[in-house]
Amino acid sequence: MFTSTVAGLAAGGAYALIGVCLVFTYRLVSVVNFTGAAIGATGTFAMVMLREQGFSLPFSILAGLACGTVIAALLGAVMMKWFASAPAQTKAAVTVALLVGMIALGLRITGGQHPRPFPDLVPGSAFTLAGVVITRAALVTISLAFIFTIAATRFLNRTRMGLQLRALSERPVSAELIGIPVRKLSIGVWATAGIATTLALMIIAPQRAPNFLTFSMLVVPAFAAALIGGFRSFWLTLAGGIALGLLEGMAAGLSGLAQFRSAVPFLIILAVLLWSQRRARWDEQR
Amino acid sequence: MSSANLKSTLVTILIACVATAIINFTLTSYWVFLFTGAVVAAIALLGVGLVASRAGMISLCQMSFAAIGAWVVAWLNVKHAPGSLLLWVLLGGLAAVPFGIAIGLPALRLRGINLAIVTLGFAAAFDVILLSYTFPGQTKFIFVKRPDLFSSDQAYFALCVAVFVILAIALNLLSQTPLGASWLALRHSERGTAAHGVSIPQSKLSAFALSAFIAGLSGGLLAGQLGTLVAESFTLMVSMVYFVVTTMAGAHLAEGAIFGGMLIIFFPEVLRRLNLPQDIGNVFFALGATQALSMGGTMAEDLRGLFRKIFKGKEIVASGFTEDAALVAVVPPAVKANAKAMLDIKNLTVRYGSVVALNDVSFAVPEGSVVGLIGPNGAGKSTLIDGVTGFLATYDGTVLLDGQKLDGLLAHLRARAGIRRTWQQTRIAPQLSVGDYLTLAASRRLKAEESEELLLWMGCPGPQTAISQIDAGTRRLLDVAGVIAARPKIVLLDEPAAGLSHQESTQLAARIAQIPARFGTSVLMVEHDMDLVRMVCNTIFVLDFGKIIASGPTQKVLDDPRVIKAYIGDPEGLAT
Amino acid sequence: MKKHHLISMALASTAIFASALMAATSASAAGPTCTDGKIVVGAVSTITGPADFSEVPKAAQATFDVVNAAGGINGCKIDYTIADDKADPQVAAQSARDLVENKGAVVMTGSASLLDCAVNAGYYDKQGILSVHGLGVDPVCFNAPSISPVNVGPYTLTTAVLQYGSSVLKAKNLCGIFWIVGGTDEAYPAAVARWEKLSGQKFGMIDLTLPFQGDYTPYVLKARDAGCDAVVMNTVEPQIVQMINTADAQNITGIKWLFLAPGYTEQVAKTLAATKQEIYVGTEWEPYTDSKSKSNEGWNAAMSAAGMPLTAFTQGGYESATILVDVLKSIDGPVTREAVTAALHNLSPVNNPLVGTPYTFGMAASHASSQGTKMVKLENGAWKVETPDWFVLPPE
Repeated sequence: MFTSTVAGLAAGGAYALIGVCLVFTYRLVSVVNFTGAAIGATGTFAMVMLREQGFSLPFSILAGLACGTVIAALLGAVMMKWFASAPAQTKAAVTVALLVGMIALGLRITGGQHPRPFPDLVPGSAFTLAGVVITRAALVTISLAFIFTIAATRFLNRTRMGLQLRALSERPVSAELIGIPVRKLSIGVWATAGIATTLALMIIAPQRAPNFLTFSMLVVPAFAAALIGGFRSFWLTLAGGIALGLLEGMAAGLSGLAQFRSAVPFLIILAVLLWSQRRARWDEQR
Repeated sequence: MSSANLKSTLVTILIACVATAIINFTLTSYWVFLFTGAVVAAIALLGVGLVASRAGMISLCQMSFAAIGAWVVAWLNVKHAPGSLLLWVLLGGLAAVPFGIAIGLPALRLRGINLAIVTLGFAAAFDVILLSYTFPGQTKFIFVKRPDLFSSDQAYFALCVAVFVILAIALNLLSQTPLGASWLALRHSERGTAAHGVSIPQSKLSAFALSAFIAGLSGGLLAGQLGTLVAESFTLMVSMVYFVVTTMAGAHLAEGAIFGGMLIIFFPEVLRRLNLPQDIGNVFFALGATQALSMGGTMAEDLRGLFRKIFKGKEIVASGFTEDAALVAVVPPAVKANAKAMLDIKNLTVRYGSVVALNDVSFAVPEGSVVGLIGPNGAGKSTLIDGVTGFLATYDGTVLLDGQKLDGLLAHLRARAGIRRTWQQTRIAPQLSVGDYLTLAASRRLKAEESEELLLWMGCPGPQTAISQIDAGTRRLLDVAGVIAARPKIVLLDEPAAGLSHQESTQLAARIAQIPARFGTSVLMVEHDMDLVRMVCNTIFVLDFGKIIASGPTQKVLDDPRVIKAYIGDPEGLAT
Repeated sequence: MKKHHLISMALASTAIFASALMAATSASAAGPTCTDGKIVVGAVSTITGPADFSEVPKAAQATFDVVNAAGGINGCKIDYTIADDKADPQVAAQSARDLVENKGAVVMTGSASLLDCAVNAGYYDKQGILSVHGLGVDPVCFNAPSISPVNVGPYTLTTAVLQYGSSVLKAKNLCGIFWIVGGTDEAYPAAVARWEKLSGQKFGMIDLTLPFQGDYTPYVLKARDAGCDAVVMNTVEPQIVQMINTADAQNITGIKWLFLAPGYTEQVAKTLAATKQEIYVGTEWEPYTDSKSKSNEGWNAAMSAAGMPLTAFTQGGYESATILVDVLKSIDGPVTREAVTAALHNLSPVNNPLVGTPYTFGMAASHASSQGTKMVKLENGAWKVETPDWFVLPPE
């Protein structure tokens, strides 16, 4: 059982990183972004398709990252142009609609059933723990999640731009009035989350069934992780994502539970919601 | 059923009958099959629309609920259960309800977008489980048996239309009850809705559970239509597409649901005939929904607006006070000498961090009186109303309503105990009609004469008028009409005359002064308009920096130098 | 402001109106027979969405084109329509009804879909139309009276690759990791049981919980810890790549991986060129990568002439189309749906060089006429044929 639990570490790192990106987007531009993983999928597939066309690996990676970033920035621009002052529910609904469109287009462009030769960006194994080979890719993903968490926390709490962004997520209109470049900053936030997610998906792609739909649906466990962090705490989200991966691994190892392992994120979401219930709270604006 | 309801119900039934007859008698069974699919999809969309377009929540697992309904029907069919498809479909719908409650209960007690996330998680998990376990009878080709009466495609189509019509009519009638009106209202303002005595979690949960029931019905009907079922009909992707189509078409209205159902079924058909790839459909839906969200309207709503514009002319209804303001003589109500305290506030203290918003405030509102609460901006007047009506997380001190302690009660329970309030800015959902708003505010359906008399008296337009058609000033009057329609023990009016002309505010003053005698309701009024205060208040309290600095009979207090000083720099105050 | 709305509404209404018009016109065009000089044949395939099987019906189309160019069947041209179901049950049901009721198809041929069988098998049965399936994908394809696929299918192939593993590769501890979908939780264990009876060996670990997506590390470790020396898996291409990559990442050695036909593609071979794992795949037809094969000559010539790719998919389309052409030729009188159905019901076994056992239809409640496979092994990024002769399972 311990073996299979440790085996979930790689997945956990990816969940954590995408989850942290979701929290980042939510806290800074107050959008619950359902397209979070689909953005990364776009960049990752761009990378592998360029590679198939014979471009060099470094070029393909850079172009793929750029593609993920541009798609994210584009989505950010759409959100800023038409939905800047919309309530959170509406913004989330928009991202759901965009996700449906992205999946349709993504499947069309990338094709569903043929595997793509995803290059191992971080080949090899790091060490063996409890009979499980921990791959370098898993370690790198987890390290990336840690780095992004630290960077995001510092950025938000220590830098002037971070403070500005927090102000803008609370009151976009008044932030604009006092001269904060709201649009540019918001699009920057989207782009940053886009590049981080793309990088995470590129690293884990070789060991996942790389299909545009399954990649896009990685947003489900990532949401579970973000919910553990209450869509506020980066560190709790990080811990939640890794724990989720470990739990899934454990469930796969228990014969009675294995077929329900896909329900783990859902059960976690339910548990977190039940736990975090306190008195009904009133939000300020409505 | 009112005559307007009866008329719209009959019109709906007539249209449905004619459409069914045309389709059944002029088209081949292939097209009848397609239209059946469209109606079944429209039923599912009614459920999505109830949650998404009406109550403004995001649910991404409606097709999982439909799968539960379909599964139950398939299982009962395999087991040769007694009854026929009709009963099984109903049972399928009911079977989806507990799932809806189990998912909604934890998600809906909290604010925000938890429901979207938890339903996404549920649908993703349910997908995998359904995909491996599939439907009873599927591998053995046991077809879901239709009753003899509905065995032909034409008859089954008529059955589906009948189910749709019944649901659409029921939802329309339900929308005119306090519960139904609360769904539209809470999408606009949860606080405003809770102030009418509505429990927000219960209201949301009921909408979600009902939508699960409707989705379950649609799944059962699909089982009857296709005979055999596959998991792919009910995946997360399909749920998301249904949500997106609902957002675009506005499926909380019957015509929106039908429109959406037609899109879902006929779009693939058109693409096939034009030799275009099938996946374009989803891209189109995604763009359509994004655009609908950015416009803040749906196809069905726009269509209704257009209809109204063409046939009724676009008119904004303004206040309908008829008497000449100059002739109005307003006197404060007569209060019994030994009247008991209807509202008794003792040592109320509210802190926001280190800021003290209210500092040890105590005063009482005697039964049958109109009491004014004045003070400069930021003195804590609205905070006091929030505290008394339960919209603050915590406060120190005690609030007694008619001798009963309110402390610790949630806002909607205080409202139900007999304390109602209005807001500085009106919070009436523009999608409601005046009549539905009164139903929501009164927590019951008023008799026609009762509501018409009340509306006439308050200078508001008739119950059929849409809120979106009336001007801002009249909405303020409707605010007041709403709270007194509930006949509470006391109403707290937060600047009721803000935004009204001088003439209107004089006319409003005459009404407020009569509220205690007419409705048995005491009044606590926060107001900057000193003319209004002077005309209607028996006594007033002056609040400054969170403290009561003066109190007593109106004129005496207003002449108090300390009060005048508190108002210096506050342009609204001293001028009068 | 609201202009855009009106535009999209107008678009949508035009669409609906247009389809209503088509309804009116197509209502009168039902039931063409050879008297109009054509024989209407249909296929429901997954072309857009999560998978693209379009090569199967396109190969059938190319085959029919050649027949038509040579004057058709007794002067009757084959009018072949391919409908895309985008793996959506609703669209699949619509497409089948459109082909059968509006277009008046007399038989279905060359279909290859993720769910056509599951959705439409019962409908075909009711309508008295049969399907010479080009590629049976979902389990119902091998379990329906109205459908007889030309390929081996996952259950028979599972038994066959297990038999190959025990009798040729001499594996002692065979294990299975299965992805269970659409009620196949009985079919795969049944295939395993058939092998146990044939070989007299006991099956090792069996896991029926493999998810379509997710981390496969726990499953690889499970197989390792159970001491398996051969593992059979029923997953499709991307998952095969994922499983092998995971096994490589975990430094697994000593396990022979036996996959079913979906793994037999050049993309898999190229993607896994660098793997250290030993990989075998059971094919549905004569291995298409074997350019020297005599059995492939007819198919090879036809596809090359039509500019179609040489893949397993086109083999399926080609085989189903050639079988159908022969069946049609054998009919006396008008080629109606009833006539084709009767001809297929009375069909005597048809030998075809692309498969190991003759194709049959007949009145059976289920069909799996192809009982033979050829095993290929992955070597240096290419597939090498291990069994020059057909590896045929003895009848049950």
